[in-house]
Amino acid sequence: MTAPLTTTTRTATRGQWRLDGSHVIVGIASAVLFLLAFMAIFADWIAPYEPLKQNLIEALQAPSAQHWLGTDDLGRDVLSRLIHGCRVAVIAAAEGTAIALLLGVPLGLFIGYRGGWWDWVVMRLVEAIVSIPGIMVAIVIIAILGPGLHKAMIALGILYSTSFLRLARGVVLAEREEVYVRSARVIGASDGRILLRHIFPNIAPPLIVQVTLTVGAVLLSEAGLSFIGLGVQPPDASWGTMLNTAAAFMDLNWFLAIPPGIAIIVTVLSVNLIGDVIRDAIGRGIAVDAKPAAPAVRMDNRPVVAAPAGPEPHRSTVPPRPQGDVLRVEGLEVVVGDGAGLPVITDLSFGIAKGETLGLVGESGSGKTMTGLAILGLMGAGLRTTRGSIMLNGRDLRSLSQRQMEKVRGNEVAMVFQDPTTSLNPAFTVGSQIAEVLRAKKGMSQKQAWTRVVELIDRVGIPRPEERARAYPHELSGGMAQRIAIARALSCNPALLIADEPTTALDVTVQQEILDLFRDLQEEFGMAILFVTHDLAVAADICDRISVMYAGEMVEMAEVNQLFSNPRHPYTQGLLRAMPHASDRNPPLPTIRGSVPRPGSWPAGCRFSNRCDFKIAACDRHVPLVGSDRLVRCIRASELELERAS
Amino acid sequence: MLRLIFQRLVALVPLLFIVSVLTFSFTSLLPSDPVDLIIGDTGTQEQYEIVRERLGMNQPVVVRYFQWLGRAAQGDLGTSFFNSVSVMGAVMQRLPVTLSLTVVSALVAIVVGVSAGIAAALRPRSWIDRLATLGATFGQAVPNFWFGLILVAIFAVNLRWFPATGFTPVSASPWEWLRSVILPSIALGTSSSAAIARQVRSAMVGVLQQDYIRAARAQGLSTRRIILKHALTNAMVPVVAVLSFQITVLLGGALIVEQVFAINGLGTLAIGAVRQQDIPMIQGIVLVMVALVVAVQLATDVIYGLLNPKARPS
Repeated sequence: MTAPLTTTTRTATRGQWRLDGSHVIVGIASAVLFLLAFMAIFADWIAPYEPLKQNLIEALQAPSAQHWLGTDDLGRDVLSRLIHGCRVAVIAAAEGTAIALLLGVPLGLFIGYRGGWWDWVVMRLVEAIVSIPGIMVAIVIIAILGPGLHKAMIALGILYSTSFLRLARGVVLAEREEVYVRSARVIGASDGRILLRHIFPNIAPPLIVQVTLTVGAVLLSEAGLSFIGLGVQPPDASWGTMLNTAAAFMDLNWFLAIPPGIAIIVTVLSVNLIGDVIRDAIGRGIAVDAKPAAPAVRMDNRPVVAAPAGPEPHRSTVPPRPQGDVLRVEGLEVVVGDGAGLPVITDLSFGIAKGETLGLVGESGSGKTMTGLAILGLMGAGLRTTRGSIMLNGRDLRSLSQRQMEKVRGNEVAMVFQDPTTSLNPAFTVGSQIAEVLRAKKGMSQKQAWTRVVELIDRVGIPRPEERARAYPHELSGGMAQRIAIARALSCNPALLIADEPTTALDVTVQQEILDLFRDLQEEFGMAILFVTHDLAVAADICDRISVMYAGEMVEMAEVNQLFSNPRHPYTQGLLRAMPHASDRNPPLPTIRGSVPRPGSWPAGCRFSNRCDFKIAACDRHVPLVGSDRLVRCIRASELELERAS
Repeated sequence: MLRLIFQRLVALVPLLFIVSVLTFSFTSLLPSDPVDLIIGDTGTQEQYEIVRERLGMNQPVVVRYFQWLGRAAQGDLGTSFFNSVSVMGAVMQRLPVTLSLTVVSALVAIVVGVSAGIAAALRPRSWIDRLATLGATFGQAVPNFWFGLILVAIFAVNLRWFPATGFTPVSASPWEWLRSVILPSIALGTSSSAAIARQVRSAMVGVLQQDYIRAARAQGLSTRRIILKHALTNAMVPVVAVLSFQITVLLGGALIVEQVFAINGLGTLAIGAVRQQDIPMIQGIVLVMVALVVAVQLATDVIYGLLNPKARPS
């Protein structure tokens, strides 16, 4: 078993790399911010020239040994101005963020705690401010206060206080009704004390994240305001005013735009990256996991020594059945993962004839739904068939291309899913979803399709079909939605219908109606049905034959009456015993101990052996599926039968 | 649908009321007396009284507010304190300019953002996915006006493909209009496109795992149809709210990017008005911007209702 091992190692390596990667990023970002602070404090000593010292003879020079970053239109040293710009940036970020924080948080705490009238008025004010583009809000406030760095920062502080306010209010609203806050109130703690001691600590983590976001936003806005001449006033050096100068001389010396631009980008990027890391660390992140959807099969990473030993696994053969099967699955194997992969379904063979219903029964994790999806070729990422054939109407579906499979689906085989309310698209009317299939698969016109849709909806027993066709899924009951899903599946008259627990999500009373509908429709359309269910009572009701699955393989298959009257596999017996009977008044329902082992941890030999009461040493070797009219995968089947008979 | 629009309009009333009060009270918040601003330093007491009378400043504040609101509702936003032009006229003259930038940059952002988002969602961890993530990280850090300067340096100054400055009205020459707005719109729209791409990606990844997508595949519909119709319609529901926010951001960004390209839009008008403390002009610009934002929000609500039947009032 090397496959799971390799997977484990690879994930671990990747995890480590990512950890190191984020450490490196945090390191660089912190270094950048440290350098920024250092330059801001010691600008006067570090800068090679006076930032305001003009030298018109040396104007607009390219970088040189004297002026590392060149000179601007007035011959001022760009590097020196850049270094002094650090000071402006630090002051701006500190002032703007501090004002936003000190204004927003107390106000948010207050209105959130008080509620009522205060809350309503302040929140409407906040909404009004938020509905105006931020930069316009700042411009208006600067119109009142006048331009300049500190006044612009007051403007930005007011602007960004709205985010802090909403954050603080949100946390208070969530915490206010918590038990510990209410009990503090009961023992007579004052409002101020409750806010400060009990509620405030909960705000700290999101607040830190918001601070980093605000610092970045303030830096960008300050640069923007200075750029349009409403922030830092010339001749003072800030990155924004430097860009303003650069804009005027783009055609003469475009390099002027580079140093301040890089300074802004690197600073804001560093702040944001540190913010991201803090957010991830706090675990409030809503970042999307970039990994592809994990395969539906849960893998046990422990390298358990298991199953397919030997070059070619034993293959059980299903006895040939007299009538022509619509679907014939032979020796099917499904695996997950790269390379040889981890088997999830092995050596699966069965056939279904026209007009016949085969039940696929087993606990969750037995592989029955996977079988249905494998037939459709829709198993999902990481899963694939590796052995065997799936013959539908005499054609092997495994050999078909994606495009050919697309044609087969809907036309020759269709599927009804467990939850009707989620298997219909919420954005479209149910009628249009059936019509779409008819138009795409049968080339019908809009009008033809709609007539057929109404007929179909009528056929599945929904009253007022015209009207219901125009309904959206959320406007229908679960039972009605399942009827629609059935109508859609049967719209192109497929030879095979796969029904995956189609009654499980429905009310008991509705279940029976849907089962009756399946039976009626089968009489009329003549399709073969593969009926997947964990409910033996449902299977007994609708199926002609039942195939019991356990841990990715079939353990027993028989005609329905035979199976119920005389189950031969201990697992089937266990399932039947665990079935509640209405007549039984004995409360303790027998269960099968343990649970279905996961792929990769199947016992060698009989996969049920670790839960079986009749296990013997021979059960540890491979057990074939044997029999003629009925099949069973248990070496003690006949022996146990005799035992019970006596 | 009409009902939805009506409901949203009613919901906007308190917002519009507060904005109008804020905008109006803005006059009294200014440090300088508007009458002094108009008559200048040489004005006499007599002139002062006359102007005060003409501005209606002798009346109670509530009366003045409703008079102002009544006139504003009729499209009369007063006259500039400085050159006696009609504020409405000045704003309407600049509006097409700023609107051109906002609309074209929004188109750039939506087209690029949505397609990149879909591509990233279909192939997680591919180069396009990484590019969208990287783009979003940088998009938040690169000032749009600086990006504009760089575009000018490359495509206008060096390659001479586009004019470096100025704006041609669409009525004058649609081709020249496009040439004049393309660089500013890219400068503006790029960071929004990255933000939109991230939203589309995460919404799309979620939708693609839904049962109805698998059911549509089981029904044999083509992958193309499933992604562009079934998945995208649902994935756009959360994205629409982001779009609305991004358009507001673009409208604000246009005010600054205009300066890079020396385009005379609302931004230039607003900056001039702030420097001169031209109250009616600032009020007018704010009101027009709020009207635009409200219109965008209304359109968003309608699109939201179209995409999401559950949001429609029944």
